[in-house]
Amino acid sequence: MGEDVRIIVDGRAIAAPQGATLLQAMLDAGLDIPHYCYHPKLSIDGSCRLCSVKIEGMPKLQIACNTTVRAGMVVHTDDPDVAQTRRGVLELLLLNHPLDCPICDKAGECWLQNYSMRFGSRVARTVEPRRKHGKRLDIGERMLLDQERCILCRRCVRFCREVSASGELVIYNRGDRSVLDIADRRLDNAYSMCTADICPVGALETKDFHHRLRVWFFTQTASVCPTCANGCNIAIDESHNRIWRLTPRRNDAVNDTWMCDAGRLNYRFVASPARLRQPLALRDAALVPTSWTEAIECAAAHLLRVRDAYGGGTLGALVSPHLTVEENFRFGELLRVLGTKQIAMAVARGPSDNFLIKPEKAANARGVRELGLVSGADDGLGSLIDAVKAGRVKALYVCGDDIVRVLEAPRLAALLEALELLIVQTLEQVPAFARAAVTFPTTTFAEKSGVFVNFAGRAQRIMAAIVPPPGWLNDGEIFTALLNAVSSRQERFNPEAVWAHIVDSTAQFSRLTLERLGTQGAPLSPAGAPAAGQAPAT
Amino acid sequence: MAARVKKVMRPPPRIADWHSAVALLMGFWVTFRHLMVNLFGFSRGRQDFTVYYPEQRFLHAPALRGMPVLVQMEDGRERCVACGLCEWACPTSCITIFPAETDDQVERYPRVFDIDVSRCMFCGLCEEACPEEAIVMSRQVEIAAYSRAGTLWHKDDLLVPVAKLKTRIDYLRANYGR
Ligand code: SF4
Ligand code: SF4
Ligand code: SF4
Ligand code: SF4
Ligand code: FES
Repeated sequence: MGEDVRIIVDGRAIAAPQGATLLQAMLDAGLDIPHYCYHPKLSIDGSCRLCSVKIEGMPKLQIACNTTVRAGMVVHTDDPDVAQTRRGVLELLLLNHPLDCPICDKAGECWLQNYSMRFGSRVARTVEPRRKHGKRLDIGERMLLDQERCILCRRCVRFCREVSASGELVIYNRGDRSVLDIADRRLDNAYSMCTADICPVGALETKDFHHRLRVWFFTQTASVCPTCANGCNIAIDESHNRIWRLTPRRNDAVNDTWMCDAGRLNYRFVASPARLRQPLALRDAALVPTSWTEAIECAAAHLLRVRDAYGGGTLGALVSPHLTVEENFRFGELLRVLGTKQIAMAVARGPSDNFLIKPEKAANARGVRELGLVSGADDGLGSLIDAVKAGRVKALYVCGDDIVRVLEAPRLAALLEALELLIVQTLEQVPAFARAAVTFPTTTFAEKSGVFVNFAGRAQRIMAAIVPPPGWLNDGEIFTALLNAVSSRQERFNPEAVWAHIVDSTAQFSRLTLERLGTQGAPLSPAGAPAAGQAPAT
Repeated sequence: MAARVKKVMRPPPRIADWHSAVALLMGFWVTFRHLMVNLFGFSRGRQDFTVYYPEQRFLHAPALRGMPVLVQMEDGRERCVACGLCEWACPTSCITIFPAETDDQVERYPRVFDIDVSRCMFCGLCEEACPEEAIVMSRQVEIAAYSRAGTLWHKDDLLVPVAKLKTRIDYLRANYGR
């Protein structure tokens, strides 16, 4: 893009890049210009006419979304004509709009509600009955359509053509007979729920969030999707200390304004009743609930026993690609103190596409590699398995249950059979780990803060949205408690401090302070051999 | 948007507003008047000065804001569609609603509708916020309970048949410009 051009809007000078649309320039300058059909990540449609503005030298009002900025352009958005046009557009949209607000999932974040209250007229002049159309239509595996609520902005139609490239949605008929519907196939693409985000009204609704909770009760927390290595930026909607919905957050370097349906729906495990709520210890071949203190003491004693009997080299570890960089760094410290050499990582893989969905189904595999905890094409897994089989590794500390999905059951069973000591940290009780001496519950992405590194090497922050029960230790705190128990250290786990330490000590993370990561993240420094004296953990 | 200013006429100040001695005397006069009425009122045809609660109950005026209750329609269902506006309007946050879907045409109903009576301050904002005339301030004022759990009214406790609430609903329509 060339030089910035300067334009005057309502007497205020704003600068915009050459070739930008006027609407985007005004929005970027912080002006609140009402618009429906324009979306920064979709083609221009120019169908709603709500963004009309007065431009000096042009006889009629122009739609700002389809006007390119020109140097010296003088624009008025506070003109009575503009106000009247907005009022008119909104009145026409409301002619046939049902009075569904009390039962509409979009209420509270609906652009029609907001603009009508701000720019519309408070009186309805119509006497004709409203148009009747399909309601609560089941148009896809995860989507519902209410044709009466649709304002025909065609955002969803363009999304299906341009972004998901599947073209399920079309508008039939013309003029006031126009109606949105699915064409020859149902709206089942892998990104279908994004249409509910971009629909300015409640015409497209997700089944998952249908009649669940009012959006005004939510506290939004900026975070990152934990489901695959792409690391789509998300907002966690929390209320009553529960997650109700995940929605994509704009990040042009990662996911634009989209996320996949699988990622969006992957939040219920956080409140799953199957989750472990207490550590378990093996007593007489049965796993019994135990207190946190006891579990830490027991695990530390077991680890020390094996180390003292056979040496630190016989301790192996499987690190988790779901834990944050900080937690894994602390785990690395613990392993170094214990003298562990065999460290590996198991990452479950699944389907991918060439848009957002990545094959590695974990958010922080790259972060673990960047810390230098694991190496090799298979992240050291093969070598660890060989070492266990050969009896060189007698104890294994397993974080996460990815290994269950990576190794077939008989191989995994044979592997765990050969061990003398197993300590695991999992979300739910896993039958394969029934012999674990100690089982710690692990903490989900929504209950802690930290940093994930996505597949492309972009470090992004996650933030705690819900509060775990009192007395709970998150993964970093478990590692720290163990570290304190096996050494003479007296540390606490403070992710910010750990991150600051990582930034100071690891070349790839240098200069990436939390302030710099902000809500949009930042790319790691170009990978290079860590300088001498900065060797990462182990 | 500039706030619109509405000028209201106030009555001109009276002498009593300025002179505390006068105000004091006026207060004494009120007390004295009540004393006289109570002493000699029977002879003037007044029957009762005391409502013998709970044997007798006073039928409050429809303007009274008692316990907020949910309107139950003739078919037994609640009129509420769980829109959450009362929950939002409530200054004491004593309403808790969890919506759910129904096959019915209204699509939505409150799966859970709780009011914590011990926190309600009978302000009536929930009633004003409701777009469905589904929550109204009843004349129910007997809300004491033996336990804290008893002060949490659930949906079944709150439902009152619409016929019993007619007075208040009529009052609302007449006075709230609906
Ligand atoms: S369903 Fe929503 S996004 Fe699609 S055309 Fe209608 S209003 Fe626009
Ligand atoms: S593409 Fe990956 S990171 Fe993005 S939403 Fe889907 S699972 Fe999450
Ligand atoms: S009367 Fe006021 S305090 Fe009581 S439930 Fe209604 S809004 Fe809340
Ligand atoms: S405002 Fe009325 S309809 Fe909405 S939740 Fe409250 S009682 Fe129900
Ligand atoms: S936003 Fe410009 S015409 Fe719709």
